[in-house]
Amino acid sequence: MKLITKSSLTFISASVLFFLVGSIIMYFSVRTIISSNLNDTLLEKKINLEKQIEPDNVERFYSNDVFVSKTNSEITSSFSDTVLIENGKYILYRQLHFHYVVANQNYRITILQSQTKTDLLIAKIVIMNVGLAFVFFLILFFVNRHSVKNTLKVFYSTIQKLEEFDWNNNERLHLDSAQLFEIKKMNTVIQKMADTIRKDFELQKEYTENVSHELQTPLAIISTKIDEMMQSDNLTKHQMEQLALLMETTNRLSKINQALIFLTKIDNRFYSEGSTFSLNLLLKDQLELFSDSVEENNIRMKLNLLDTTHIYMDKYLAETMIDNLIRNAILHNNNTKEISISIENNCFTISNSGEKLPFPAEKIFDRFSKSAINKKSLGIGLSVVKSICELYNFKLSYSQENFHTFIIKFKS
Amino acid sequence: MIKKINILLVEDEKELAISTLNFLKENNYNCFHAPDVKSAILLIKKHSFSTVLLDLGLTDGDGLSLIKVIKNKNQETGVIVVSAKDALNKKVEALELGADDYLTKPFFFPELNARIKSLVRRLNMEENQKIVLNELTLFPEEMKVLVNDKVVDLTSKEFSLLLYFVSNQNRVISKTILGEFMSSNYDDYSFSDDLVYTHIKNLKKKMASLGSTEYIKNVYGIGYKFSVE
Repeated sequence: MKLITKSSLTFISASVLFFLVGSIIMYFSVRTIISSNLNDTLLEKKINLEKQIEPDNVERFYSNDVFVSKTNSEITSSFSDTVLIENGKYILYRQLHFHYVVANQNYRITILQSQTKTDLLIAKIVIMNVGLAFVFFLILFFVNRHSVKNTLKVFYSTIQKLEEFDWNNNERLHLDSAQLFEIKKMNTVIQKMADTIRKDFELQKEYTENVSHELQTPLAIISTKIDEMMQSDNLTKHQMEQLALLMETTNRLSKINQALIFLTKIDNRFYSEGSTFSLNLLLKDQLELFSDSVEENNIRMKLNLLDTTHIYMDKYLAETMIDNLIRNAILHNNNTKEISISIENNCFTISNSGEKLPFPAEKIFDRFSKSAINKKSLGIGLSVVKSICELYNFKLSYSQENFHTFIIKFKS
Repeated sequence: MIKKINILLVEDEKELAISTLNFLKENNYNCFHAPDVKSAILLIKKHSFSTVLLDLGLTDGDGLSLIKVIKNKNQETGVIVVSAKDALNKKVEALELGADDYLTKPFFFPELNARIKSLVRRLNMEENQKIVLNELTLFPEEMKVLVNDKVVDLTSKEFSLLLYFVSNQNRVISKTILGEFMSSNYDDYSFSDDLVYTHIKNLKKKMASLGSTEYIKNVYGIGYKFSVE
């Protein structure tokens, strides 16, 4: 629910409640006032009547608005409302009963006073008041709504700007200036936060680069020194083998370092630009690169490229993604030696024959989860694929039956 | 007498500089070393170099600024940037400024050597169209090799390997280095030791069939060596 709707609803329900209660209270208070007024009139009439009463002519007073009847008992004076039917119309009267004694005869006298006029008056007063209050609330409602809307304009603009802001972009976040203290304060805080985040982001990118630099240089020294040592003539076979192993391990270390830096870069949205290109062509180029490996390993490659699929992403990342999946399929193949790749329905599917996973299937995309058989594998390739897919909101799934199958579903 | 090639190494890491200089001297290059931007500028002004090996992160500034200085002095001096920074934009920036090649640390000496040789060949086109070594004649541009004046039918990968060996004669080259070389040159990171082995076996077979001496020798447990007596 929007703030404006919420505040309007509260306002309306409060107003309606106020109207209801207020009208009822007003109606009854006005009525009470008018009633007491009527009572006064009746009392006046009573006094006038008593002045005129004489023993022999009590019955004479009997008229439209005075009823006289004989009674045996004494009654106390009382006011009450009554309704008479005159010419088929119900007419409300205020009446006063009182007791009068003439010549040892008890009389019960009732004086009536029509309420038609006063009723009309009450109705007019109530309608006028309620109408005025209604107009007042209506005006208040629209003024309030307009002012809230106006105030929130800056708020909404801030939210929109935050939503659209690309942290990867080097631009600073610019928020509209606000007049209201609270909004101003909020914008200042957000601005400050955004600047800090941007700074941290820059620092992190810089840190990634620095780590790369700082680790790669010592690794370069190690590997060049090993290479230098390898050139000596007086090494034993055992020493030579040790050196070869050192060289391989150092290279592996450097590879892991590079892969981690690459992964960090993807996660940091370092590659944020892209272009649209044909996945089929890209796959063809990548398969070309693997032709030797495929041939060497006697792998049967089944291609099922039904649809020409165009995707939007960074081309280098696309190559890396496809490359990693193909490499994974070749590396972890078993004696069945089969790989099938298909592109259809906006999906890229690659499946390969292979041994069962030594770890749970849901861990397949975790970093460094790998089988012990393939020490060549760094255990990073598939998590790189996962990171790339996450970057572009592609759906990546894995299933393990007879074949290991990876499916990437692109956005349509 | 072959004129020695002048090379300037700009590198602030002392140990790496020592190893690199040793290696370059062994390969008959005439070497100079500058540990920072200031001394590099002095050397560039004083001498004439055919190639400068340039590290980027130096103590007193960015090595990129030197590219302009080098190219202003002599357009024909080749610049190979050797940097730990693998970032694509850094590479593009260096190449746009006029660098001729970009090598990422950690690098391997045979790779560096092959790159220097290739660069020198490129910069002196008229003299070095071909490489002659006993009965072998290599044409790097055409990817063609003759043994006793007969053409050997090599695949591009086999030729690359041969050229790599010829650039690094009498040197033990480990399987790791060869694997890396092939992987990076053919963008195929699944290049296994076995695959390198297969390519070298085929290369040796094709060369031998035309009567070439067996230059490429297995060094057990490590890799290979292209020996020329």
